[in-house]
Amino acid sequence: MDFSILLCSLFNHLGGEKTPYAGFHLLRGKRSGQMMQDVAYYGVHPFFGILPKLSKAHFDAAIKELEHKRLITIDEHSILHLTEEGKRLVQFARTSHFDGWNYRGREEIFFARLSLIVQTLSHFKEGVKQFMPVQREPEVQQFVKVFLRNYPIHDPTFSAQLKKELYEALEDSQVTDEQKGVFTHRLVGYQSTGWTWGQLGEQLAVSPLNVKLSYIESLHMLLNTIIGVERYPLLNRIAYQIKVENHLNDSTRRTKILFDQGCSLEEIAMIRQLKASTIEDHIVEIALDNKQFPFEKFVEIEDCLAVQKKSEVLETKRLRLLKESFPQLSYFQLRLILSVPSKGVNSE
Amino acid sequence: MRLQRTLKERFGFDSFRLGQEAVIRDVLGKQSQIAILPTGSGKSLCFQLPAYLMEGTVLIISPLVALMEDQVATLKQQGEKRVVALNSSYSYHERERILSTLHHYKFIFISPEMLTVSKVAHKIQQIKIAFVVVDEAHCISQWGFDFRPDYLRISEFLKTLHNPSILALTATANQKVIEDITRYLNLHDPTLHIYSLDRPNLSYVINKMESEDDKTNWLINRLEKSTGPGIIYVASRKRADELAQVLKSKGESVTSYHAGMEHEDRAFVQAQFLNGDVEWICSTNAFGMGIHKDDVRQVIHEHIPATIANYVQEVGRAGRDGKLSATTLIYTEEDIRKTQFIIHEDSPKEEEIRYFGRLRTEGKSILEAAQLVGLSETGMRMLHYYFERFSIDETIDQIKKQSAEKEAALKQMIGLVEEKNCIRERILYFFGENLEVNPEICCGNCQPNHTGMLNLAKREQSNRKWSDWSERLTQLLG
Repeated sequence: MDFSILLCSLFNHLGGEKTPYAGFHLLRGKRSGQMMQDVAYYGVHPFFGILPKLSKAHFDAAIKELEHKRLITIDEHSILHLTEEGKRLVQFARTSHFDGWNYRGREEIFFARLSLIVQTLSHFKEGVKQFMPVQREPEVQQFVKVFLRNYPIHDPTFSAQLKKELYEALEDSQVTDEQKGVFTHRLVGYQSTGWTWGQLGEQLAVSPLNVKLSYIESLHMLLNTIIGVERYPLLNRIAYQIKVENHLNDSTRRTKILFDQGCSLEEIAMIRQLKASTIEDHIVEIALDNKQFPFEKFVEIEDCLAVQKKSEVLETKRLRLLKESFPQLSYFQLRLILSVPSKGVNSE
Repeated sequence: MRLQRTLKERFGFDSFRLGQEAVIRDVLGKQSQIAILPTGSGKSLCFQLPAYLMEGTVLIISPLVALMEDQVATLKQQGEKRVVALNSSYSYHERERILSTLHHYKFIFISPEMLTVSKVAHKIQQIKIAFVVVDEAHCISQWGFDFRPDYLRISEFLKTLHNPSILALTATANQKVIEDITRYLNLHDPTLHIYSLDRPNLSYVINKMESEDDKTNWLINRLEKSTGPGIIYVASRKRADELAQVLKSKGESVTSYHAGMEHEDRAFVQAQFLNGDVEWICSTNAFGMGIHKDDVRQVIHEHIPATIANYVQEVGRAGRDGKLSATTLIYTEEDIRKTQFIIHEDSPKEEEIRYFGRLRTEGKSILEAAQLVGLSETGMRMLHYYFERFSIDETIDQIKKQSAEKEAALKQMIGLVEEKNCIRERILYFFGENLEVNPEICCGNCQPNHTGMLNLAKREQSNRKWSDWSERLTQLLG
């Protein structure tokens, strides 16, 4: 997976309405109300949070390079637009299979668990019981300790079983052979040391960041292959609680409970001692997360349809532009309308 | 007898190494002490062994998370389960769980920062402490790049512990450092255990070069003609990556290492080096602490370290197995200026300190103020510490004094690289020692052009190679 193609494809979704920073925060998985809204409006769930540690410097350099290659332009309002060249690049690129929205960096926890388990089995298989664990996160170590307690780790058929599951899941997941290579060389074992991103990049003649991206993509694909599938009992247990089940943050969740009990916005604001605008943010987030959200409580169905149509005609999701056409509607109502699932933008 | 038996049973050794027994006897006698033992002499045993002969928990204050984790992992490897490292890498719940069962641990490793968390300090006060170890104690007096004000707060914490005996451990300390350790840890008349820091199996060569290119070419030639395992220390992360690239393109087995890499990648590189998969590490000063590789045959500096202490610490990673090993430093005139720049990079300037002070009185938080002034992380820590204790003018004074100390330390280092006589003698003199006998192969000034320390035979290439993914899976899991 190529980072510049990824960026072009992301900004293609953002339809020439966002600044580079919106893309930066999106890739890092920033959880603000505005971001949640953007994710839903523009249907960019797959990209959300796929590079939680992306540095500003790295991102800026990549954007500069895209500008330099004339794949994008940035206008006087700092809005990023794809050039024709950039659009062509996206058109001919291989489709990516990220699922950022559902994993948000947690795929790394899955891999850390798996890697420590493989390292342990690999050493035990050779009768070596002492080794330097490659994963030092206490939580990962604790998980693996508890996990392995339930299995006959001295029995070679056990490691064979894990190998079989991994082998089949990798085959099933449709990841490329190169991705399988990267995945297996990030695993370590008895006398088999791991390959750094830099070393993998050299081997495959691509940049270390691109290697990392295709690794993350392969983890998402692998997880989507195994989770909930009976053929992979061990991998399913290793993937325990990796997929994000609850997409709302704590505060929003508390608002949701009150809302579900039938409280009005004013009541919720009073009970929670929060500003009305904050509660509105929460409500929009809740609506974005729930296809069955009772929109009719806040907006007329006719208004809803009219705004959606206008949005399509104007090819925009920008509130300010829509507000000009619908002065009678509040910003809150407009945001709610835009969060109504229209056509297949959802990741699920 | 009891000591010998424990040594054999717990650690599998037949005899003590130089200095260990005396230090251990003083620990058992509850005598506070400063022990200076050269790198690779088994410092950890000095607190691990008496721990088993005493009641209560040993508290080890350690400056580096990596070092701490490494020590914990090593103890666990030895079969000791009652060991924990208290640092910020735990989740809230995990930390709560550990804190509530603190008395259960025999060894608690802790960072100085963590000691200032009142909840943690309070829990430690409630358990029985056998004695306290301050590891890498020279950090107390090293104001350098890594300013750690919390190290200076240790004595404030120790006072609340009913004066346990203290063991300050380090591999590099001169008179000034010893004084600083004594003062900052509030030690009263500590016993000093000082063992010669001389490493007769290391040779010291220092060469001045005309240009960066000369250095690079020299390195290419050196790696072609002689073998590792070796570490090449460079000044920056960028240079580490670049140089590794150049050397690799010449067919050498090299990989870079620095703190800008992900944790997992760093673990990979360490394992590769230990395993012999890679012959040379091209690294910033981040590489070394806690790496137990005994057969490092060469350490090369291609820059000037900021202090003699740092230099000695780094070359000390060569030849821990006692076999002949070569250390070489190459530099240009420009490198002197570069190091000068680096050592002052983090020190806030007078106007910055005043501006910071104004922002603080206006009610800005430390973080906000630091950002507005544009301080580095280290600069912020410095000012935070000083502002709690001193006025603005005093702070400015303190920081000026500190800069002067750094400058002086660098001058000593420059004096060393420009030394015309015996380099070994000069190093030992810096630590207040006299060289009694020069080893047969001593240094570049005693025996110019001597290559006796270098293994000139070409080393066998590692057979590490890329495998097909299913092959790799079979290697790993059978």
